[in-house]
Amino acid sequence: MKPAQTTVPHQTLRGNGWLRKQAGHYQLWLMVLPAVIYIAIFCYGPMYGIQLAFREFDFSKGLTGGEWAGLKYFEQYFNSPMFWPTLRNTFIIAFFSILLGFPMPILLALVVNSIRSNRRKRILQTTVYMPYFISTVVLVALLQIMLSPTTGLIDGFLKALHLIPADTNLIGDPGAFVPVYVISAIWQACGWNSIIFIAALSSVDAQQYDAARIDGANRWQTVWHVEIPAILPTIIILLIMNMGSILSVGFEKTFLMQNSLNKPVSEVISTYVFNVGVKSNQFSFGSAVGLFNTLINFTFLMLANALAKKTSKISLM
Amino acid sequence: MGKKSILALVLAGCLAGLSLAGCSSKGNSSDVGNDSSNTPEGKTKLKAIIVKHSLTKDVTQMKWLAEIEEKANVEIEWQQISADWDQKKSALFASGEIPDLLFNATSNSDFVQFNGLFEDLGPLIEKDAPNIQKMFSEHPELKTLATQIDGKLYGTPRYKGIWPGSTASMFINKTWLDNLGLQVPTTWDELETVLLAFRDGDPNQNGDKTDEIPMDFNPIGWDFTPKLLLGSLGLPLSNGASDGYFTEGAQVKNFYVDERFKTLMQFLQKLYSQNLISKEVVTQDYSKYQSVARGNGTTAKVGFTWGWETGDRFGNELKDQYVTLPQLKQHADSTNELYWSNDYYYQNYGSNAVSVSARSKNKEAAMRFIDAFYEPVVSLQVLFGGMNDTDKGIKDNGDGTYAILPPADASLDPGSWKWTNSFADNGPMYIADALKDKVMLGSDMQNVLKEKAVYDELLNKADEKSNVYPQNFMKYSTEDTNTLAMNQANVNNITDQKWANWLTTKVDIEKEWAAYVASVNSSGLEQNLQIRQKAYDEYLSTLK
Repeated sequence: MKPAQTTVPHQTLRGNGWLRKQAGHYQLWLMVLPAVIYIAIFCYGPMYGIQLAFREFDFSKGLTGGEWAGLKYFEQYFNSPMFWPTLRNTFIIAFFSILLGFPMPILLALVVNSIRSNRRKRILQTTVYMPYFISTVVLVALLQIMLSPTTGLIDGFLKALHLIPADTNLIGDPGAFVPVYVISAIWQACGWNSIIFIAALSSVDAQQYDAARIDGANRWQTVWHVEIPAILPTIIILLIMNMGSILSVGFEKTFLMQNSLNKPVSEVISTYVFNVGVKSNQFSFGSAVGLFNTLINFTFLMLANALAKKTSKISLM
Repeated sequence: MGKKSILALVLAGCLAGLSLAGCSSKGNSSDVGNDSSNTPEGKTKLKAIIVKHSLTKDVTQMKWLAEIEEKANVEIEWQQISADWDQKKSALFASGEIPDLLFNATSNSDFVQFNGLFEDLGPLIEKDAPNIQKMFSEHPELKTLATQIDGKLYGTPRYKGIWPGSTASMFINKTWLDNLGLQVPTTWDELETVLLAFRDGDPNQNGDKTDEIPMDFNPIGWDFTPKLLLGSLGLPLSNGASDGYFTEGAQVKNFYVDERFKTLMQFLQKLYSQNLISKEVVTQDYSKYQSVARGNGTTAKVGFTWGWETGDRFGNELKDQYVTLPQLKQHADSTNELYWSNDYYYQNYGSNAVSVSARSKNKEAAMRFIDAFYEPVVSLQVLFGGMNDTDKGIKDNGDGTYAILPPADASLDPGSWKWTNSFADNGPMYIADALKDKVMLGSDMQNVLKEKAVYDELLNKADEKSNVYPQNFMKYSTEDTNTLAMNQANVNNITDQKWANWLTTKVDIEKEWAAYVASVNSSGLEQNLQIRQKAYDEYLSTLK
């Protein structure tokens, strides 16, 4: 009987081969279980709410009780005069945030890594990552004070050096909104984001440095041929993940920095969802616009992933 | 550790998590009804939320409030909100779990959007609320105000009757004028001359010619803004003109697309380009607007501006330097009818002071408590603070007359004291007309009435039936409410940025005007005007 059991069920076991294999690693699955439960409850669970985008919201019947409205609310958004402005503004802010904000932590990591003195390294690192812990509300208040056209410290400094024209209002001027947004974001998050690259750099084999030095490489050549290749997988994975959130431009900061003067460039999809959806109680419309935003994020994520896979064989999935 | 014990640990963890989740959901559901709702002393326990002013102190420390809770035989558990209610309420209401009583927390559109969440108070008032009944019989328009399009009454109204007919006054620094040997301006042209002199001279005489701000105001859509100058051009504003709506000859219109608004913006643009208007006029928030006008110590910084009252706007040190300016003519030879914004309804009538949850188990007790607020002498205390030694808001003279006391805290002005010490204007109240003459108002209110007297003649021109538009009184169906909200968001998006852009740049407004009007109209303004006209006609038909 015994030999028969190992040979006969062969056919039937093939279907369960994967499961059987995983059963051998059940400890790993147990470890990941809390995360799976968390994601199921807090990320997938609330997703039933997206049907609100396709329904007429009826308070008395709850999120899932209203009449089906089809794509009415999507059409309403596409036809609204705010469609192009919000889409364009979101893209512009997201584009510059990634273009300028993404390479900075890498540069910083390379700089930190090249500092020999451990004490100086630590001081520099701590200094640059501290701003990350300032809340957005406080940060925007700081910006308002520092950039005030009459009493602002930074504003006065830039004007004294003639770096900006004397009649510029940095917190109102539509042309200044994106630079102020992006530069302050870099200042705030650069140090923090560089940590992961510093960690990646620390794992570079010391023999590679030695080999490079023996081959006569100077500092730049070492960076280019040893350090960058070493952290390239990290860079690509992070870039893909950032692409996934390309259009979820930070609601809080945009909203807080918004005023009548810069509204032409600062009304992004998320602030529009808030203004129409939440403040005016148009929940279905708000959900539809939000869902549209998510769809675009998803498209970007997949595109970036496919591109990375094709060019460098590195990808998320 | 053995495999089994790890498994046991994980399972235990999951169970703990589940039981916690169970607990919290149970906790929530007990918020809804109040089954075991009596205290040992036999009082009815109720939950209430109050949206109060940020200055207002903890309401449980108000003795007059404790007294009426006692009288109505209820015990209230207060939840107090003083910021960002607009953002919080959607989430709270959508959850369906609201407290029994909601003070100053609801609006007409909520009743439409959250149909079924709030109790129709009409029958309860007839049964249990003698004070509110009396208020309705003396002021039937308050019942009209509170009744929704479906004939139901989800929120009780409030009435003061002692507030002035205009929210904003226009102020100019008389000391500066005297220092420069100038007359008080009476036209836009003279105003410009005066502002230029403010800019170039050193009217506050501190030796610094650059620290004067000739003119300062709030963003156009708010109170205390140059939109009041539209009255120079014959445009009758009323009741705050929120979102720009006003009526003229019984037609609902919007000033953002009115030729006269163009004229005003051209004038303001000219002033701004000459550096006569504060550079931060668009970007500053209200607290900065306030603090700038209060100057530093005894040196005034602002020459010409708008505000509620001189003490409030300029502080005790500087208030005597300023005088109220009557409405200006555009040019010396202009023949436009002059108006000042008639805000009598906006100032004295309020809707939705209190609402009751439809799921409350103790509606009778809730109504008993609400009605207690509307007893005229209690209402006085709601507005000005308690009539006792703890609250120190009002003095009972014993002969049927009352005096509003000066602030017990000497560091506060009377206005701030009122907002600190009681529910103030956010409370439910009915100040009976019979009581009006028997109340000796505080120095701030006396001052307000005195300062605003210059506008009385213009305010009297407001015709109830053709150019006063009390937006609070208008009622809309669910569909109309949604359309109005959606359109308004799009319209505001254009108007909000356009006026700021025109003001601060040198673009040719004349050239952009036609395209701007077309885009505002097509963004939904035309549709909104039609919907509003329908409601306004309906309202006019209720006026006698």
